Amino acid sequence: MKRLVLWISLIVLVCAGIASAQGGVKKKRPPGYEYGNVTINNFSANAGLAPVVFQHWSHRSRFTCRVCHVDIGFAMKAGATRVRAADNMKGYYCGTCHNGSMQFNKEKVFEACSKVSSSVDQKRCNKCHFVGDTGKREEEFYKFADDLPKERFGNGIDWEKAEEEGLVKPVDFIKGVSVKRPPLPVQKDFALAAKVEGMPEIIFSHKKHTVWNGCEVCHPEIFIGIKKGSTKYSMIEIFEGKYCGVCHDKVAFPQMGCQRCHTKPVS
Amino acid sequence: MPYQARIIGILLLGLAGGVLPASAEFFNLAPQPPAAKYGNILIDRLATKSGVKPVAFSHWLHRQKYTCRVCHSELEFNMKTSTTEITESANLAGRYCGACHNGKIAFGQDRCITCHNGEIGHGEEKFAKLLLRPLVRTEYGDGIDWVASLRNGAVAPQSFLKSQAKEPPFGRELSLEAEWVKFPPAVFPHKAHTDWLACSNCHPDIFNIKKKTTRHFSMPLILKGEFCGVCHVTVAFPMNDCKRCHPAMTPDSVKR
Repeated sequence: MKRLVLWISLIVLVCAGIASAQGGVKKKRPPGYEYGNVTINNFSANAGLAPVVFQHWSHRSRFTCRVCHVDIGFAMKAGATRVRAADNMKGYYCGTCHNGSMQFNKEKVFEACSKVSSSVDQKRCNKCHFVGDTGKREEEFYKFADDLPKERFGNGIDWEKAEEEGLVKPVDFIKGVSVKRPPLPVQKDFALAAKVEGMPEIIFSHKKHTVWNGCEVCHPEIFIGIKKGSTKYSMIEIFEGKYCGVCHDKVAFPQMGCQRCHTKPVS
Repeated sequence: MPYQARIIGILLLGLAGGVLPASAEFFNLAPQPPAAKYGNILIDRLATKSGVKPVAFSHWLHRQKYTCRVCHSELEFNMKTSTTEITESANLAGRYCGACHNGKIAFGQDRCITCHNGEIGHGEEKFAKLLLRPLVRTEYGDGIDWVASLRNGAVAPQSFLKSQAKEPPFGRELSLEAEWVKFPPAVFPHKAHTDWLACSNCHPDIFNIKKKTTRHFSMPLILKGEFCGVCHVTVAFPMNDCKRCHPAMTPDSVKR
């Protein structure tokens, strides 16, 4: 009898689980100052520290995506790099810049991880192993963002325009990790047909992407090879976080801004 | 073992009630509020806790001047009451309500009790005034056919506040098969929706973009406030108005 009760409760629980697996409601979107934030918690909790809350906006206001995701070697998936304090102290990953000696805009970049921690250090630890006042981070964000061109979604910043107008000047070269690359001729913008009749075609601009990404962020892994048409993908896969969705929805402007890609007037 | 038997009984009842739609009461929708209160909400995320009255917000008042898109896409208001992190400082910085309520576009934030009054029926006299306009009327919800009223120009809500981003035009009308025999299909006009909404209000969170790939899309869940029910029990015309989606519906269709 006891076993029967157990089985029935199990079946009921499973059924209830299926019934309550909801999909048909809106997801909550992060506020502008949290869009693109990545919480990294591979080793932090075990070391008795708060997880690292990494702010993309603050880094991309200074550096291109390429510098971290190609030259320094950060994976594109949150937490997949498995950065250890020891790596940072040796000058890898975060420690490439956060080494206590690098300067940015004549200001010293604070040093990442250390072996011993004093009360002075604690304050420094908390900068990344984030505890406490999100209000201050929010304030810092809006102080930066308020003067930049606006977009509707994501951070609420039109990064593309901000870069074009020289309001942000992302650095694309870090001595010691970056290599001098021969300049490639930038391809002209081209149109990609939408699969649904009546949807405007997509205008893809290499130029807008290479400013931030060079070639290597997308080719050859995400978009196989370099020949147009050799990678087959659909909007549904993009929504699932593949292809364009690797960046767009996570850090780059989210996919809900349809018209930013589907721009070609329907003829 | 009466105790265990009782547990099984309760669990079985739970199974029937939770998983299968209770068909007898299936269409007994909640009673509708009076027209002047339809779509009104009380926003109380922090208000009561902070010692002020909840904010009375009226959808019919705002949608005369702005489409749903402006607040729910551009200004990033969530679709669920009291979940948006509206704060006094955010409003004062020109976000959320403060995007308009700044003393320039709409009244400023010095008039506290105009919003913080805790009365869901606040501003009823304005509703009477609204009805004097040449609006197309219906019998449901707030009694106004907003889609038709927008088309005939009786209301001309603004689609964008700051950004002038153009949404891609897409007007395809879909015919959606009903789940049950005898039920006529639902007609879904994209145009009536895109007049008010951005693509992203519905896609891809609520509906996938490919027909028949939206999982669990069914009437019981719609009636519970998912899918179409995200708007069509709260603000957009309520589902008592069966024929507006299922135009070929007759009293015969619901006879079991």
